[in-house]
Amino acid sequence: MKRLGALGSVLRQLGQAVVVVIGSTLFLSLLLRLLPVGLAEIYAGGFDEASRAARLKELRLDKDPVTFYLLWLRDFVAGDFGPIVSPGGGTTPVADKVGSALPISLQLMFYVQVVALVVSVPLGIYTAYRSGKRSDKAISYGLFTASSIPNFVFGLLLAVFFGVTLAWLPPLGYVSPGENLVEHFRTMILPVASLAIPLIATYTRLLRADVIATLREDYVTMAVSKGLSNKRILFSHVLRPSSVTLFTSFALNMGALMGGTLVIEQLFTIPGLGSEIGIAIFSRQFFALQSYVAILAVGFVLFNTLADIAVGFVDPRTRERRRA
Amino acid sequence: MRSAFRRMDLFTKVCSTWLAIIAILAVVGPFLPLPDPREADFAAPGVKPFSPGHLLGTDSNGYDLLSNVVNGTRVSLMISLVSVLVGGLIGSSIGIISAYVRGRFDGIVSTLFNIILSIPNLVLGLSLVAVLATSPDPSIPVSSNRRIFVIMLSLTFVIIPILGRIARGATLAWVNREFVVAARSMGMRDKDIIFKHIVPNVLPAIYSVGFLAIGVVIVAEGSLSLLGVGVVDGVSWGAMIARVAGEFTYLPHSMYVPVTVLALSVIACNQVGDHLRSRLDLREGKI
Repeated sequence: MKRLGALGSVLRQLGQAVVVVIGSTLFLSLLLRLLPVGLAEIYAGGFDEASRAARLKELRLDKDPVTFYLLWLRDFVAGDFGPIVSPGGGTTPVADKVGSALPISLQLMFYVQVVALVVSVPLGIYTAYRSGKRSDKAISYGLFTASSIPNFVFGLLLAVFFGVTLAWLPPLGYVSPGENLVEHFRTMILPVASLAIPLIATYTRLLRADVIATLREDYVTMAVSKGLSNKRILFSHVLRPSSVTLFTSFALNMGALMGGTLVIEQLFTIPGLGSEIGIAIFSRQFFALQSYVAILAVGFVLFNTLADIAVGFVDPRTRERRRA
Repeated sequence: MRSAFRRMDLFTKVCSTWLAIIAILAVVGPFLPLPDPREADFAAPGVKPFSPGHLLGTDSNGYDLLSNVVNGTRVSLMISLVSVLVGGLIGSSIGIISAYVRGRFDGIVSTLFNIILSIPNLVLGLSLVAVLATSPDPSIPVSSNRRIFVIMLSLTFVIIPILGRIARGATLAWVNREFVVAARSMGMRDKDIIFKHIVPNVLPAIYSVGFLAIGVVIVAEGSLSLLGVGVVDGVSWGAMIARVAGEFTYLPHSMYVPVTVLALSVIACNQVGDHLRSRLDLREGKI
């Protein structure tokens, strides 16, 4: 029976995710109808009567908004993200752009999360262990301040300092790992650092609070009285039960990280999804914009749902609490 | 007011003083004896700080940095205050009412909030501004006043579900308390219960998150500018950062000025919001 309950809650969470995804993509699709200038004007402005009708039919702009959305959704699920229409009339599929830009953005986000976790786990445990001491206060205050500094400020400052003043690292640009692995990591250090520092601050604070709470548990006192080393207690008895909040926050921060990635890509001229969104806005490719934003929203919902489900399995108490 | 200030620790005092200075500068900015922020000094482009006539120097176009940062305060602060106040008012009204009446209305409101929150903040703001600030004729850019209005509108929309969800959560915690049930059983009208018993208790939670939200909006304004859809040719912190982002390789000081002021203001907002939150001990007030 218990298994069925777990499966049921997973199915319900997936159902909610589907509702949210449909709602947000419908919202984005209808948003395009709010353009101060009609989509027909943008996509078939200078056309004569006959080719204009053909073009509108081809882009499905002759349909009503809801039918348009349903057809768009069908294509989107099938992996067809719509066309980028050049002024001359030729079209290229948005899917091509997504294919080249999305992996770069994902790579950047992956590096950021890995770096943030690798730094904040030991830092969180250390500050909790030294809680109230001077070193904890210094690190905690410093991190609080760092968490409120916007990532583009870090980006600009790091680029000036390490890229220009010291000239240790390239201040801009992107090199793919296949081309030159060393250069790839050298170009990624500054963007990854500017996105990771605020995340490190958030994660460390959360982990510190949870570790302090766990250290008060009876089984820790038990472990201490058995004579286990502090290191062993912290890493094998305390870390795991203290990491649930961190785990949830990891998924929730994906949204902020997606926004941050857009800005940082623009700043460091990395050809990821953020740069493509910028290009789409400037060249008025609203179908492309709709699909890019939809991809981000779907990814965000997916991450949150997976995290919810995973936390439910790691710590069954939260599942019960959520149902109540 | 005075006792509230006395209860703060030193760092919070510094932060609230900074916010007060910023607010005063936003009001008196145009009356200070500073060069016109939109007038380039062609005789002194890109001069270092502490040059004659330009206390913080100029950028590569000869715009006075001090004057721009002081006058930019008005637009940046106006955008964040208006969107947080209006968005907070709408959001918390919806949140409080939906938690109070429960039932199907609450279900619909929560789903709508979840849908909007499923699009990352900055991405939502970016799409709204990009769509609403498109000019009918590509060769004529949208005027900067219209842009400011569109940015305020979009960020207001972003704030509504954030504060709405906080208000809804806080209301749910109060709505079944004994004094509310007692008031209802005595036949008090719903409107009076909400205003007399619910709102005063929910308001502190909204304040503290409101301060954090002001910080979020200041950052959003800067980010939108860097993405090319901000107050492009106006006077705001974001516009300054976007203008100097391309020249930091040879004129780093023109970038330090807006970036420092912006970062200090966000730190101050977060610290004051955090101080309020720790006094209230609210765990759900996380943006």
